[in-house]
Amino acid sequence: MAAVDALLLAMFLASVHKHAVDLELIIAFVALISNYVYFSKRTMPFKFLLPGLILLTLFVVVPVVYTVQMSFYHYQSGNIISKDGAITQLLNNGLTPDAANTSYDMVLGDDAGQFSALLTNPATHISYFATEKAVTTLQPGQFTADSKGDAVGYPGFKPYTPDQEANLDSVISNARFPMPNGNFIQPQDTSSASLLTQSIQYDAKTGVLKNTATGKSYKDNGNGNFANVNNPKDVLYPGWKAFSKFQNYAKLLSDPNIRGPFIGVFVWTFLFAATTVILMFGFGLLLAIALEQNLRFKRFYRSIVILPYAIPSFMSILIWKGMFNTQFGAVNALFHTHIDFFDSPWLARLMVLVVNLWLGLPYFYLISTGALQAIPSDLEEAAEMDGATATQILRRIKLPLLLQILSPLLISSFAFNFNNFNLIYLLTGGGPTDVLHGQTAGATDILITYTYKTAFNGAQQNYGSASAISMLIFIIVASLSLWSLRRSRVLDMVS
Amino acid sequence: MSVKTVKPASSTRKKPRTTKGNLLAHAYIWVLILFVLFPIYVVIESSFNPTGVLTSGSFIPSQFSWANYHLLFSDPHVPFARWILNSIVLATANSVIAVFIGGASAFAFSRMKFRGRKIGLQALLLVQVFPSFLALAAIYVMMERVYTVFPAIGLGSLGGLLLIYLGGAMGVNIWLLRGYIDTIPMELDEAARIDGASTPQVYWLIFFPLAAPVLAVTALLAFIGTFNEFILASIFLTDVHRRTVAVGLNSFVGAEFGQNWGPFAAGSLIASIPLVILFLSLQRFIIGGLTQGATKG
Repeated sequence: MAAVDALLLAMFLASVHKHAVDLELIIAFVALISNYVYFSKRTMPFKFLLPGLILLTLFVVVPVVYTVQMSFYHYQSGNIISKDGAITQLLNNGLTPDAANTSYDMVLGDDAGQFSALLTNPATHISYFATEKAVTTLQPGQFTADSKGDAVGYPGFKPYTPDQEANLDSVISNARFPMPNGNFIQPQDTSSASLLTQSIQYDAKTGVLKNTATGKSYKDNGNGNFANVNNPKDVLYPGWKAFSKFQNYAKLLSDPNIRGPFIGVFVWTFLFAATTVILMFGFGLLLAIALEQNLRFKRFYRSIVILPYAIPSFMSILIWKGMFNTQFGAVNALFHTHIDFFDSPWLARLMVLVVNLWLGLPYFYLISTGALQAIPSDLEEAAEMDGATATQILRRIKLPLLLQILSPLLISSFAFNFNNFNLIYLLTGGGPTDVLHGQTAGATDILITYTYKTAFNGAQQNYGSASAISMLIFIIVASLSLWSLRRSRVLDMVS
Repeated sequence: MSVKTVKPASSTRKKPRTTKGNLLAHAYIWVLILFVLFPIYVVIESSFNPTGVLTSGSFIPSQFSWANYHLLFSDPHVPFARWILNSIVLATANSVIAVFIGGASAFAFSRMKFRGRKIGLQALLLVQVFPSFLALAAIYVMMERVYTVFPAIGLGSLGGLLLIYLGGAMGVNIWLLRGYIDTIPMELDEAARIDGASTPQVYWLIFFPLAAPVLAVTALLAFIGTFNEFILASIFLTDVHRRTVAVGLNSFVGAEFGQNWGPFAAGSLIASIPLVILFLSLQRFIIGGLTQGATKG
């Protein structure tokens, strides 16, 4: 405990050092709770639970809560930062060169400890001495000029060496030398500058952004953007992450781009998850029964059929993808055909099921074997005494018992496949998609891959609506799991 | 336990069965074995094929070379040995820590009475079915923040990834372990307590040795899970020397064009070897561990 405290203290101090208030709070909280739990005498269960709980909370619960929160926000590309950040950026974007595109030759230097510059307008040959407080026009004779007539020397002014300039990089790029009428001169690099006008101004009191060049006014449209007072469709970017209540959810029902394919995808997701579990369970159970027989080489067979479980699944999926290739794939080579499995909706679906069967067979074989062995043998013997045949024993006695024993695993497998992002994404990418007929969802797209597509489609990333779909998926799968758990009475044993 | 008692009984009883059933069983098993071995054969063949194609048309290998294997261990841009090492370190750390922390939590859920126990177990299960890939965004933002203060456990570090894995699998592990612990007779604890053992003593001296099989399975599953994990690791680990095997190998075939299957196949084979050995040597435990956890859970 002392070691843990020391570590937490060190981490706390490091956060203080870096002014990371959020991390300080988390660390302090963890430290307080663990000290309480491990020094109090009444917290025995939590002495065992705490490390697990902390890890779960930080890396599972917090992200989930964050996702839930995101689903209530207008949160997408262009609406990622805070409102203050957005205003700062808009103001910066509102800097425009003046109408004449005036630029200056510049020498940067130090004047009595002040960052300053000698500027010369190459068109008018007027020179200026500029600090960040004021810009004064120089009369000929007040400064020394080079052959072009540019000001290069001024009493008290010490030009920077290139090394000094390199160190002052951020000072230089943020420098503003004020000119009349709210204009200012900003360095473009270390030897030139241009005249800029602030064409967008923000009034914090009224919350109005005004473009002085076009005369348009913009107001917060309540949706994370500043919009033209006269034309709500004219909005400024970037916007910010704004609270949007149930808008993301409402959009799922109202936006035809999302709602249209949603039902089809939903049906396929269910079909896929159910079929794949039934297939894997059927083949796995049969295999388990077959390997229960008194066979030669049993151990050898067993070792081979569980091999896919030991091979990283993402590798297997990619390999299967290569094997289903139309021209070079091993599957087509085996049957001497040239079938394009990725182009036909039903073949692609079949392919997904076959590959998933390969991936899931070992697991289902293993759990079926375990469950078969867990069924008391006297049941079977009793049935045999009563004259039941092997098939009868299997159908009437073993199968119902197996289903009861395995239902939690079958349900969790269903839930897993309901969200089997890897398989679909790596194998078919959701395709084939009939783009010509304006389809956005592919034939093998399940909800989670479809979410991924709608949410992270190209440049436009919509975290808000992706979170909303995730929440929907979560509610569906969670209620299904809870319902079946209750039904299988697993939780009754807990109490 | 039940495994041992059932087996001899069933095998003696099944001996007189007709060979017809056996034949059918054999046929079925062989079909599945061919199905299982098909891609594995393709990978082995491709790994020795220097052209980088995932199988040519014929099934008899036309070319044979060690070029792909050689590339993995000689090309300085492909620190394959390093990737394997990263994966093994990460997987070992994850499985050991997960067993200790998960075991302790499962022990509490199984043996102790406290408020919120049932709710806690249900919540554990529910949290697991949350579509996790979206939570990725949140995790990313979080670890980016952590990185600014603690680079060792922040974004891009194996330490940070380890923490995420530990947290992510905790729910499953607790359920799996708890199911097994429930089958360990209460009488043992009670006897120890009468002899004056404290709760931590019961945990370390009675429970830990007794639960060894399921602890081994949990460790194995955690190990394999870590070895296989791809999406999180690929987002998280950008430095080429910190990659895990899965992320590293994907760089050969991840690109839409210029897929190079040869080194990928060779690397996959090498990466699978430790897992296959582990798996085959622990298969007895796995069958028991998986179902015990579920059935009694």
